[in-house]
This record gives sequence, C-alpha cells and structure tokens, in this order.
Amino acid sequence: MTEALTITNLVKRFGGLTATNDLSFTVADGESVGLIGPNGAGKTTVFSQIMGEHRQTSGSIKLYGEEITPLPTARRIRHGVSRTYQVPRPFAELSVAENIRVGLMHDNVWQMVLHGPDPDRELELALSVGFTEDDLKRTPAELSMGDLRKLEMARTMATGPKVMLLDEVFAGLTVGEIAQIGELIQQMRGDGMTFLIVSHDLKALEPLVERAIAINYGELIAEGSFARVIENEAVRASYLGDTV
Amino acid sequence: MGLRWYHFALWGAFIVGLALLPELVSKGTLRTIIFANYLAIFAISWDVLSGRTGYISFGHPFLIGIGAYTTAILTKRFDVPVEISIPVAVVVTMIGGLIVLLPALRVRGSYFAMITLAFMELMYQLVQVIRPDLTGGTRGMSGLPTLTRGAVNGFYLSAFLMVSVALSMWLLMRTRLGTALSAIGMNEESVRGSGLSATKLKMVAFLLSAAIAGLGGAFYVHYLGTIAPRALFEINFAFTIIVAALIGGASTIVGPVIGAFFLTLLLEYLRPVLPGAERYLIYGGVALLLYMYQPRGIYEIIQQGLARVRRSS
Repeated sequence: MTEALTITNLVKRFGGLTATNDLSFTVADGESVGLIGPNGAGKTTVFSQIMGEHRQTSGSIKLYGEEITPLPTARRIRHGVSRTYQVPRPFAELSVAENIRVGLMHDNVWQMVLHGPDPDRELELALSVGFTEDDLKRTPAELSMGDLRKLEMARTMATGPKVMLLDEVFAGLTVGEIAQIGELIQQMRGDGMTFLIVSHDLKALEPLVERAIAINYGELIAEGSFARVIENEAVRASYLGDTV
Repeated sequence: MGLRWYHFALWGAFIVGLALLPELVSKGTLRTIIFANYLAIFAISWDVLSGRTGYISFGHPFLIGIGAYTTAILTKRFDVPVEISIPVAVVVTMIGGLIVLLPALRVRGSYFAMITLAFMELMYQLVQVIRPDLTGGTRGMSGLPTLTRGAVNGFYLSAFLMVSVALSMWLLMRTRLGTALSAIGMNEESVRGSGLSATKLKMVAFLLSAAIAGLGGAFYVHYLGTIAPRALFEINFAFTIIVAALIGGASTIVGPVIGAFFLTLLLEYLRPVLPGAERYLIYGGVALLLYMYQPRGIYEIIQQGLARVRRSS
C-alpha cells in the first residue's frame, strides 16, 4: 500500500525540552489513524512539524514519498496536506463563503485578480460540512463552536488535501455536533481521504480510525489497532499519570 | 466582483460632482479641496496597507517623502522632465516600500508601527544631513516645476489622480486579492494555513501602498512647487492620514476619501471661528466621538443609514 505520510526519526527540541523524541510512523494512503496521548504529549507539535509551522530539529517528513521538510507551509498545503486547529481560526470579519473562498484560492496574485470566485464550489463545500445556503452570509461571530469547526473543515477541504490532520476536532462540541462531524469524516473516508486525527474524546475517535498511535513525552509508546493501543499498559499509565 | 448598477451610479455622480465643483465654489475652497484630494490619495495608500493587512504604518510620510524628494531632486538638480521624474519617483518609492516590508516579515502590531515611525524620523534626519546640496537640507527646496497653473487646473489634476487611484483600488480590492489581503489582517497564520504565501501577499500590499504614496507625493510636490522636510516628515501629517482613513472607514477605499474630505473641510470651516491651534482640539474631539460612535467610520454610518431606508421603503 502507498504510504501517504512517512515520519522518520523526528526530533523537536525547544531549548531543554524535547517535544518530539525520535518519532517514526507511517500513514497509508486512504487510511485513518488516531494520534493519542495525554495533555502535553506532543501531538500538536507533530502536526506543526508536518505543516512546517515548526521546523523539526532532525528527522524526515515525507508526503507520498517526497521529502517536504524544505518547503514552507503554503507549499506543503499545495502538495496535499492540510490541518485544522484545536482552537478554530476563522477570518473574523469575512462571511462563511469568503472564509471558504480563501481556502479555494491559488497562490497566484494574477489569478486572484483576474478570476472571480467560484460560488458553486463554495456552496458545495459549505453544504458538504452541514451548512445551509443561508449560512453562507453569516460571519464567524454568529456561529457556534460546532459551526466554527465545520467552517474550518470546509476551508481545509477547500485547499484540496489528500491528507488531512484534524486537531481536537471534537473539543467543545455538543453530542449532536460530534455525531455530525463524525459522519462527515466517515463520508470523506469513503471518498478515499487520508486522516491523522488527534482527539481526547476516545469514544468519538474509535469508530473513525483503523489504527492508533500513542505518544507520550514526544515518544511513541504504542501502535496498532485502536482497542489494543488503549488497552496498552504504558498508554493507560500515561493517561492516568502513573510511571511505568 | 459583485458590481451593481448603483455602484456605477454613485461613482458617476461623484465624478460629475467633482467636475462641476469649480463652477460652484470659490477658488479658496477649491485650493482646500485640492489638499483634500491629495490627503485622500495618501489615506487610500495607508488603507491598502494598514486598513487591509493590519500592519499599521505610523510613518507613511516616509513613503510620500521618498516620492516627493525623488522627483524634486531629479527635476531641480538634474533638469529631468517631470514625465520621467514622476514614474521614477513611483518606482523608487516602491523600493522604499520593500524596505518597510522587511520588518513586517518579523514583527507586527505596535512594534511594526513604531518601526515605521522610526523610518519617518530617520528620513527626516537623513534629508537634512546627507547631501544637503541635493536635498536642500533643513530648508528644503523651492521653485520646483509646477504642472498646472491656477486653482481650477490644479483641482482637476488632483481630482483626476484621486479618482483614478480610488476607483482602481476600489475595483482591485473587490477581487479575491482584496479578500486575501483582508484575511491577512484578521489571521495571518490562517492565511498560510489556507495554502497562501502571506509574505507574497504582504509584498503586494506594501508595493501597492508605496506606489500610491509615491505617485501622490510626487504630484503634490509639483503642485506646491516647494518641499520642506519639517512639514512633510511630521507626526501630525502622519496622524492626519491615519485619522482620515479611520474616521472615513478603514479597509473600504471609499471611506478614506470621505474621511479626507470631512477632515479637510472641518478644519477649514473651523478656521474663521478658531484661527489658532485650538481647532485641532475640536478636530480631535470630533474624530474621537465619531470613532467611539462607529469604529468602522462614516462609511459604515452611511451604509447603515441606507440599509434603514431600504428596509422602511
């Protein structure tokens, strides 16, 4: 099976703190993998390094076999990897449609000037995450946390990713909203999207992933089927705060 | 671009109104409005950069000054015709814009604003110290070639420039580029996270802003026929540009034009009542009250008024 994402011996140090410690794992094309670990385990830092928001101290990150380490964030996105954030980051004064529009833009100033927006595609993306046509004109200030996550999903999808990194995608959502986002992810899995999903809500995460990777102190502590990983003693100890 | 019939009607009415103005007002008022036109150009330049991207420039006279001094030196010291010196001034100012961009790659917010203020001060000192034989030193220069004679011609030239800049920027900012530049002001990280190069977009904003500032500065200096560093690189001038853009309505292009006219006419009509510096107190008070009442400026007040009329009809 083709490897979509290949992380090899990834190390990230912030001064004396090692946030990612010789981490290696792969995500196959079309696979959905859960990245779990207690608070401060270094999950988001892994995402930031994949996206190039933080440069790793050493190690390699490959996307479909191509090393993406030298590329800035915007170019990594064009290579097909995109992420959402723990705290949604919408463009506060732009409408839902305009927020999605930014995601749909090509990084070419002339194209931005000469070509108008694509309202059909904007609507299609908005509808796909569960917005209605009336929602297109609303601004982020009028949206619930669930809607903001949906908007972030739509904008991320607009960049045309092959691999999506979802960071705490269920945080702050109601049960209904969790089900809605879960359904959307399932649907996208059906369409062949590759996912790496970070979530503290293990119950909501379980049905969405084929496999789980557990990390603590930036180190891989378990990998395998979801059930086996959460039963793993080291993983349980890391969540409960015991030393192994 | 979402253009509607009333956009054409409003722009048309504005242009016709300006064209008829010399028939309706005195020459003295016309001279005031010439200043309003140039202030509007400077405020649009500020708006394209700071209103959109949120990189607040406190030192916009730095850019205006580069344009003004370049053409002044070229025409006065080297007898270069204005047809050449003005385009050169615009290009040189764009290079100045790239210099201001450099700190914006690292810092933003008040730090960036302070650096731009420092650029203005630096320029003020430099033109006095370095090669005063070229720059005219502390006294500046006079006897520069003027492009027009009389208030009416000066007005038409300034109005033509202002409308050209305002209309082209208004149209440009209605494209997806305008949306992307606004997005930078709201969340630069998310712009990167949407696959766009924030650096490239910022460069476009800085170059556009600098080109307009250079153009305005160059034409203004050939309207005045003189250039004086103390009046140009002055914090009050920088603030007048910012206040015009803010009380008119930042990030709208039309707002800064409204703001520039409002401010200039307010100061002018206060002059007979309060000839001294007191009128700046009134001007500051009015600006503050307006800003407190509607931080999005006069443009938003007009928009809301129109929406109310539409709803009630």
